[in-house]
Amino acid sequence: MSDWLTNPLYWNWILQGLSVTVEITLFGVLLGLILGTLLAVGDIYGRKALRAAIAVYVEFFRGSPLFVQVFIAVYAIPPLLNIQIDHLLLAFFVFGLNSAGYQKGYIKGAMQTILDDQMQAGLSVGMSKWQTLRYIILPQAYRIVIPSWTNEFCSLTKSTAVLATVGIKDLVSAGISIKGIEYVILPVWLLIGGIYLVWITGFSKIMDRIYEKYKIPGIELDMQS
Amino acid sequence: MTDYVMEAKHVYKTYRIKGEKKGDVKIVEAVKDVSLQIRKGDIKLIFGPSGSGKSTFLRCMDMLDIPDKGEIYLGDECLTVKGLDLNKARARIGFVFQHIYLFRHLTALGNVELALRQVLKLPKEEARKRAMAALEEVKITDCINKYPAQLSGGQAQRVGIARAIARQPDIILLDEPTSALDPELTGEVIDTLRDLAHEGTTMLIVSHEMPFAREVAEEMIFYDEGHIIETGSPMGFFNAPNTDRAKQFMDRIINRTTR
Amino acid sequence: MPGWEQLIYLLEGVPLTLSISIISFLIGIAIGLPLAFTKIYEKEIAFVVDAYEKIFRGIPEIVLMLLFFFGLGPFFPTPFNNAFFVACFVLGLRSGANQSHIYRGAIRGVGDEQMLAGTSVGFSKWRAIWYIMIPQVFTFSTAGLGSEYALLIKDSAYVYVLALLDVTKRADQLRINTGDVTWYIIAALVYIALTFPLAFALDRWGNKRKNKIGL
Repeated sequence: MSDWLTNPLYWNWILQGLSVTVEITLFGVLLGLILGTLLAVGDIYGRKALRAAIAVYVEFFRGSPLFVQVFIAVYAIPPLLNIQIDHLLLAFFVFGLNSAGYQKGYIKGAMQTILDDQMQAGLSVGMSKWQTLRYIILPQAYRIVIPSWTNEFCSLTKSTAVLATVGIKDLVSAGISIKGIEYVILPVWLLIGGIYLVWITGFSKIMDRIYEKYKIPGIELDMQS
Repeated sequence: MTDYVMEAKHVYKTYRIKGEKKGDVKIVEAVKDVSLQIRKGDIKLIFGPSGSGKSTFLRCMDMLDIPDKGEIYLGDECLTVKGLDLNKARARIGFVFQHIYLFRHLTALGNVELALRQVLKLPKEEARKRAMAALEEVKITDCINKYPAQLSGGQAQRVGIARAIARQPDIILLDEPTSALDPELTGEVIDTLRDLAHEGTTMLIVSHEMPFAREVAEEMIFYDEGHIIETGSPMGFFNAPNTDRAKQFMDRIINRTTR
Repeated sequence: MPGWEQLIYLLEGVPLTLSISIISFLIGIAIGLPLAFTKIYEKEIAFVVDAYEKIFRGIPEIVLMLLFFFGLGPFFPTPFNNAFFVACFVLGLRSGANQSHIYRGAIRGVGDEQMLAGTSVGFSKWRAIWYIMIPQVFTFSTAGLGSEYALLIKDSAYVYVLALLDVTKRADQLRINTGDVTWYIIAALVYIALTFPLAFALDRWGNKRKNKIGL
């Protein structure tokens, strides 16, 4: 009964699914980081109109489920632009836009813990506001933000599970395929769940070590969920 | 061609503090028609009761706070003119903060080098040489690769001073450089400032370190409630201030200082 | 374009969404509070709390729902064949893990001295926790709990995979029947309407508190 566990075809599916999951998460988090930084800076230094637009963006992506955002991306965008787009590509973008909404909050929070004094110090040595942001504020903010960032990564990984419903071949989709053939349901989900667990826990541990190594002695972000 | 390194002309600065309740706003007139001239090599010390606005005035000199009215001159250049590239001007002024404000993510050496590379655009070698020279002047040699959190208060502030002098600015402004330090650590900072003074550095200091004032300052300026009340030599202030307010203040201070 | 009847059909999913989130939230309190205090005050079994949190941080809720409903359903039909039960069960357990983390932060914020004071007037450890720590912990946790609740409202959308007719599933049905994709956008707006008041109130509360402490 359990020789399905050694079937190389299934492991192939699983590994493929896992790699898709990881790709989407990584891309999403990276895009989220870049866009989130822009949003955070825009929110701190922009004019009222820009700040309002950012607020609407953030409220949309943080206030509605990623699940629904995925549906919108997959079913509404292609017909709107009148072209066929691979669901995977749409998934990358929707995850990135969503993550940016959350990361803006983390990055802005981190920036504001240090902004006042470090900005003054930067100006006092003759650097411009942008130079100070680039060489002093952001390098520190990114280090402060690592724990929140790790959290965001875990959260996003778990959310990739919804992509199976729109036909993307992720890890959950692999599980569905296997159980459809073998009729072993509980063990398959235990295995899939276990793989997620190992991946997420492993990644968190690595990020924790990175944080320990690179964190700035003397500042910890006030951890409020 | 002006004689002065820096000049303040009829500067005004007011700021608002939000109170606890909604609509509660306290208005603080920190700088009320203050004018000051500083020549090359001057060492002037501004002192007075806390909350009088001395720090605000000093920050106006560096345009870290923008004056509401009046003019600030760095040499012949007017800094309060709209649209001026303040960064270039600030590159010629060194500022030392009460709470130090070192760049936390950089080592001591990195803190001093950063502006040399990014503002003066010096090449790596040259920037390093000048940074090391500045650090040697403040007698920091063995902890140059430490991070601010690993330095003592006195060491950190000396790095702050090195950071300010590395660009060889026209003038150095110091805002209560020793006030945030533990008493045992103020000595090393005061020694550093004394050395700088003897080398002819132009300095404008806000401080209430009276012993330092007596030794090093050439002119003392008593500042209270937004105004310059009296100026004079240290001897003059310690022996016989002219105004009553200065007298009261000096009495209180001298009774407290036990050196 | 959207007709009124269809809109009502969509909105009829709201009670389901709300009930799932509220029940899960309450389960989360019942699990999270004891876990938080156990981890801090009963060091020998603290590892159990760690393991629990790791599991729910590391496995997607959807996978758990599929596991319980399709995997255990056949063997234990009574609870696990009920999609509503499985949804609340999984989300409740997950929320317990998140809330445990929130309360731990709050406990640290309240401070150990309170426990000390409590035991010094004669309370046993757990009575001190009940009478002294827990009331204070809630005041410190409101920000985190608010965002956790908003998260539950959004995660209730996962019940889609169990074919429960919540807002998301209904929007999907409407799209399939009418070919109109704007139903998803309307669904998104419904969720935002459910989460926004909370976010707004939290923001203002957070700013007020900051001013009080003098930040």
